[in-house]
Amino acid sequence: MILLLLAPIAAGLFCLASASRAAWERLNLGAFGIVAVLTIRIALHVSARGPVSAFDGFIRADALSALVLLLTGLVSLACAIYAVGYFRREETAGRVSCVQLRRYYVLTPLFVCAMLLAPIVDNLGVMWLAIEAATLASVLLVTFYNKKASLEAGWKYIIIGSIGVSLALFGTVFVYYAAVGLPGTETRGGMNWSVLMTAADKLNPQAMRLAFILALLGYGTKAGLAPMHTWKPDAYAEAPVPAAALLGAAFINCAIYAIMRFDTLAEKCLGHDFSGHLLAEFGVGSILLAAPFVIVQRNFRRLLAYSSIDHAGIMVAGLGFGGKFGVLGAALHMLFHAVTKPLLFFCAGNVQQRFSTPYFRKVRGVIHALPCTAALFFMVTLAVTGLPPFGIFQSEFNVLSGALAAHDDCMASLFVIGIVAIFAGFLIHVSNLCLGAPARPSPILTESPWQLTAMAFVSLGILGLAFWIPGWLYHLVGQSAQILGGNP
Amino acid sequence: MNTDALSSAIASQLVMLFAALMLVLQLLLVAQQMLLVAVRLYALQSLMLTAIAGVVAYYYNAPHVYIVAVLTLAGKVVFLPWLLNRIVRDIKIHKEVEPLLNAATSTLICLGLAVLGFIVARPFTTLERLGSNTLAIAVTLLLTGFFLMFNRRKAITQVLALLTVENGIMLAAIALTSYGMPLVVEIGIFFDVLVAVMVLGILVYRIRESFDSVDTAKLTRLKG
Repeated sequence: MILLLLAPIAAGLFCLASASRAAWERLNLGAFGIVAVLTIRIALHVSARGPVSAFDGFIRADALSALVLLLTGLVSLACAIYAVGYFRREETAGRVSCVQLRRYYVLTPLFVCAMLLAPIVDNLGVMWLAIEAATLASVLLVTFYNKKASLEAGWKYIIIGSIGVSLALFGTVFVYYAAVGLPGTETRGGMNWSVLMTAADKLNPQAMRLAFILALLGYGTKAGLAPMHTWKPDAYAEAPVPAAALLGAAFINCAIYAIMRFDTLAEKCLGHDFSGHLLAEFGVGSILLAAPFVIVQRNFRRLLAYSSIDHAGIMVAGLGFGGKFGVLGAALHMLFHAVTKPLLFFCAGNVQQRFSTPYFRKVRGVIHALPCTAALFFMVTLAVTGLPPFGIFQSEFNVLSGALAAHDDCMASLFVIGIVAIFAGFLIHVSNLCLGAPARPSPILTESPWQLTAMAFVSLGILGLAFWIPGWLYHLVGQSAQILGGNP
Repeated sequence: MNTDALSSAIASQLVMLFAALMLVLQLLLVAQQMLLVAVRLYALQSLMLTAIAGVVAYYYNAPHVYIVAVLTLAGKVVFLPWLLNRIVRDIKIHKEVEPLLNAATSTLICLGLAVLGFIVARPFTTLERLGSNTLAIAVTLLLTGFFLMFNRRKAITQVLALLTVENGIMLAAIALTSYGMPLVVEIGIFFDVLVAVMVLGILVYRIRESFDSVDTAKLTRLKG
């Protein structure tokens, strides 16, 4: 476990020290390879034998933490492989300099390290710190290209993010306050989930209510729930593609994870209704807000951001509907979304690199110019909008069942309307993009082998999980759902 | 009255006094347009926070709060103001342009926010251990900090606003629990603020280079 956190930090520091591109690439790939293997091992262990802890309880991983950890590890490996090909192309095209490249290879491991720390620390103050550290590391990735637009995106990201993060900290302080005076809370472990969960029904309800609202607003900003989502389209569109994929597929899970932890506390203290209603409203609100923006979108990088707002909404809504299906849907959705999303970013990145524009109207007939990318783009569009047999269909179906089981018919129908609208919008945009005659005939430029490897890696995951979930993974998801349901 | 109750009452009064001064400084900050003066006001406000931490550490025998006090003194009273001063001098902008709302209106709005803060904090005042209104002041600092952020357009002032929000949260942490949060969290938050300001500083320099201005109202390209 120590190695898990040390590997990325060491890679970052060595990248700072070394001076050649090959060394940076190797260090990053090596570190993320180690991280991926370790996260799989931890996930297997937790799935078979239950929670693990280290450092006198400072670090504690139960099924939910292990799931988030596993997804972060795999996504960052895929992004690291893709990044090699992506940045070689960018360098050839003269869009990035050596200094910028080094900045990417130094900051990314630190970003990932913070994201790995967030789900496994038991102390909710330290979890807040890890999420904030991840934000700070990613701000400089968002402003990577140093253009006016990327600076604007970065500024918006850090200011809105900081407002959110201070609300989340205030929420954390209130949880701590709610527990003051209870046995066991005045010691070092007073801010630990495991301690708070055992005493949750004795927490001060008024403080807990305020704490939950603040935490939902705060971490909701990070996850990109409407109406705190405004930084997201800018940041996703301006960041270099591998960094955007990390933000969109891994960082979002950390934020949702924090909301989930606060929700389990609040549910145990206040009952399901209070937090459940809030979560369902924010979730369905995000889906409905994302839908029109998806339909009228002109920029495919921003389209991905709205898709990610939509998926954050689905996870939170599942959590809000609760019940057996709702929480299972939320946990499953976290898994499938993280597996599917990187490919969408990679495809969009290839198209943008090839045509040097992120606008739909300037790009036609990708299938002639980049056949592999176009085919995968089409497949991943179907997967991400929730068409069977892909995994996201299963998880969305579970969330919907959760809504119906909770007799929340109005929310259920709004949920379906939003999902269908987003499906239609996505399909129209991507088919226009991929099919049709190219605007001007151009020689076929082969995709970089590194980029293709990363894409093949992710597609295997998507297709594999669509038909067969390994027993241990399903067990892990099931256990996570139980934790979310309040029975650890 | 025995000595314990007496010292507790004195501590409570002292904390209350310093917290009230923090609020006054915040209101001055809202009305202030000179950036260097605003930075000094922030330093003073942090000094008040240090004093509160010192009082709490002394009266409640919480040695780890001394560490918090020292860190606050070194970081927020000395280092951050120095850094912000340097940035202000480097970018050669000393005066905030006319804010969205003028000083009088802003002050009135902030008074309104203060009333709101006191209403929000009311259900908790009976449970609070230190000074009856500390939490209300913390909430008010948070709200006025957000207001300051929306009302001003210079990047530096937005950073200052963020820092006052953070001061408010630390005040709440001390006021609500009377011994602060676990040390690892306090130290973490402290370094986090330092790094955040450095990152913001880097961005300010770059915005200055690219846009030839630090007016965030000019950041309007990204929409939809």
